[in-house]
Amino acid sequence: MSKKLEEEFVKQLEENQNIVHKICRLYTNDQDAHNDLFQEVTVQLWRAYPKFRGDSKFSTWMYRVALNTAITLYRKSTRRVKTQYYDSVQFKIADRPEDDEQMEQLTLLYGAVKQLNDIEKALVFLYLEDKNYREIAETMGISEVNARVKMNRIKTKLTKIINP
Amino acid sequence: MDQLDILKQSWQSQTDNAPRFSKEQLYVLLARKSSSIVKWLFFIAIIEFVLFIVLGIISHFTNEKNDTIEMIGEPFYYGSMILHYLVIVLFIFLFYKNYKNISTSQPIKRLMDRILRTRRTMKWYIWYNLIYVMTVGMIGAVIIIPHDPRISELLNSPNFIGHETTFYAAFLGLTFVIFLILCVVLYLIYMLIYGILLNKLKRNYNELKRMEI
Repeated sequence: MSKKLEEEFVKQLEENQNIVHKICRLYTNDQDAHNDLFQEVTVQLWRAYPKFRGDSKFSTWMYRVALNTAITLYRKSTRRVKTQYYDSVQFKIADRPEDDEQMEQLTLLYGAVKQLNDIEKALVFLYLEDKNYREIAETMGISEVNARVKMNRIKTKLTKIINP
Repeated sequence: MDQLDILKQSWQSQTDNAPRFSKEQLYVLLARKSSSIVKWLFFIAIIEFVLFIVLGIISHFTNEKNDTIEMIGEPFYYGSMILHYLVIVLFIFLFYKNYKNISTSQPIKRLMDRILRTRRTMKWYIWYNLIYVMTVGMIGAVIIIPHDPRISELLNSPNFIGHETTFYAAFLGLTFVIFLILCVVLYLIYMLIYGILLNKLKRNYNELKRMEI
């Protein structure tokens, strides 16, 4: 039974690992830390898996556990030497001459998001993952109104970071 | 369109040089041990429980060897001891209840809340022990002084006659000061251990709380 559960879990994790990678990328600054956090998220997901009832989607449940791990449980400092880690992020966009500029802007935006604090990052992450405010509020454990207000403040903050 | 929506459009398409993990690699990751702060809090709590229980047992053993029990009176001695262990059992129960409630599947703020609550239980446990030691120690001293032949002898010596009150005051005052120093030292050690562990959590928790206002 346990073996079957493990197989089922690994299959789901393998399919959805992109979510965890995106969170790790957002919360760490180098590949070692990335792998460390990924490791911890995996252990936490597996530990919580028996209680995952399937009444929500696996990916939705994953957001919660992974963010909880990154923000709350992960012990190692994320303040390592800042490398240009986010440069390794690529966005697939159509290959046209004007795309270089767009690519540059995306990288700049991503860099700005990385400068936010842990909580702000989580809100932005969920927003970028196309979650609505109800879901964002539920995951964070705050009210929907507060999530909305905070999100607007973060948008202002990001604009200021990009255009100082 | 605002800045974030530009990013959102391309967000799902982001790729990275980091390799994806294969199923085989994921199995290996599963087998590894967690190094989360909850685990550390758990170990520290166990050490705290064991430490004070062992200290209690040692002090009872040493007391039984001399005539402390006789001087202090059995009802007070055993009464305080039974009460003490009942309270410790209560703390273990409270800790266990809080610890069980820590789950990564709950909303971020609630998880933080639960962790901090577990930590608070342990803080009260330490304070309880210190206050217990001081209260019982002081009451014990007050009871013992008139009964201890060595002290009575000392008090009856010519130098001390007329200064009994001063002696009592000095004795209790000194006990109190020693206790206070002990508390401060312990408190600092605690601030350090938990500070290192929970610094990030507290900062994030406060950030979430600020949103609620």
